[in-house]
Amino acid sequence: MGVSLSKGGNVSLTKEAPNLTAVIVGLGWDARTTTGTDFDLDASALLAGTEGKVISDQHFVFFNNLKSPDGSVEHTGDNTTGEGEGDDEAIKVNLAGVPAQVAKIVFPVSIYEAEARQQSFGQVRNAYIRVVNQADNKELARYDLTEDASTETAMVFGELYRHGAEWKFRAIGQGYASGLRGIAQDFGVNV
Amino acid sequence: MGVTLAKGGNVSLTKAAPNLTQVMIGLGWDARSTTGADFDLDASALLCASGRVLGDEYFVFYNNLKSPDGSVEHTGDNLTGDGEGDDESILVDLSQVPAGVDKIVFPVSIHEADSRGQTFGQVSNAFIRVVNQADQAELARYDLSEDASTETAMIFGELYRYNGEWKFRAVGQGYASGLRGIALDFGVNVS
Repeated sequence: MGVSLSKGGNVSLTKEAPNLTAVIVGLGWDARTTTGTDFDLDASALLAGTEGKVISDQHFVFFNNLKSPDGSVEHTGDNTTGEGEGDDEAIKVNLAGVPAQVAKIVFPVSIYEAEARQQSFGQVRNAYIRVVNQADNKELARYDLTEDASTETAMVFGELYRHGAEWKFRAIGQGYASGLRGIAQDFGVNV
Repeated sequence: MGVTLAKGGNVSLTKAAPNLTQVMIGLGWDARSTTGADFDLDASALLCASGRVLGDEYFVFYNNLKSPDGSVEHTGDNLTGDGEGDDESILVDLSQVPAGVDKIVFPVSIHEADSRGQTFGQVSNAFIRVVNQADQAELARYDLSEDASTETAMIFGELYRYNGEWKFRAVGQGYASGLRGIALDFGVNVS
């Protein structure tokens, strides 16, 4: 049974799905029906080494860089409105192909031009981010962005990390006032 | 002491007042002293399940003052804004809301806005607020004259069930299509 994360929740999921090999991080939200600029949510991924910094700028996978150099992490494309059912953006992770020096993969979610558009997750209907274990299609964790990140504009949802010979997922749910730019810089990306 | 909500923010009413049953939505504005057609603002409510109204009779507004179950009641249409304080109000008895209703949405609109060429910004001291009747604490207030100045209809906020609690979310998003557009969006059969 997947874990539904709420504000402040930081549950260890190591018993949920040991031995992960492939996951999808899915981001979904409802397209705007009210008057105003579209809500453009973005999923991304940072492949980091043991010091917690990206192993190179190309290992920051986001709407302008859809695939890590090794091909192990792939973003299926930018959705700028939320149009469509289910996950509107997805990041596929093939853990077997992740470079040896990557100790963890961090997953930010953010709103494009949030400051200029004066938008926060709470204004978006049915916004969520989740991680699914590809081996059995089970949802390992889900975060209700509309409800629990209502005043945020960017946050780190969680991270996949090496544990011995295995990969595990840890839920984080930490907001960033500095946006995706701030998150990327925090992880050593030259923005 | 009430909580001031940012747009998109939510608050648990149940946590604020564990024995909460009565909430009031209050709409007020100044009657027009300048030459021209009166400003006729309207408060309404949509009792919804999964984003759609339970039935046309569950759209409470100036032509349908009470929901079938009696849990939501509009105290009557004010066509001019005459009178101090709240000029229109909607009373909600949470204990009587049908179990199938997971959300009550509160639109506020200007009657015949398009033909009269009116927007909220032209109205003096227009506001809408939600009051916890248990302690008269104002949970949220929108200054419509200031913050919805170019709008003619908007969703002020919504009451919704979440994990066994009643919560209020500040929405503050407009509809260029008026109250009719809002009603249609929520599945009301509008003639």
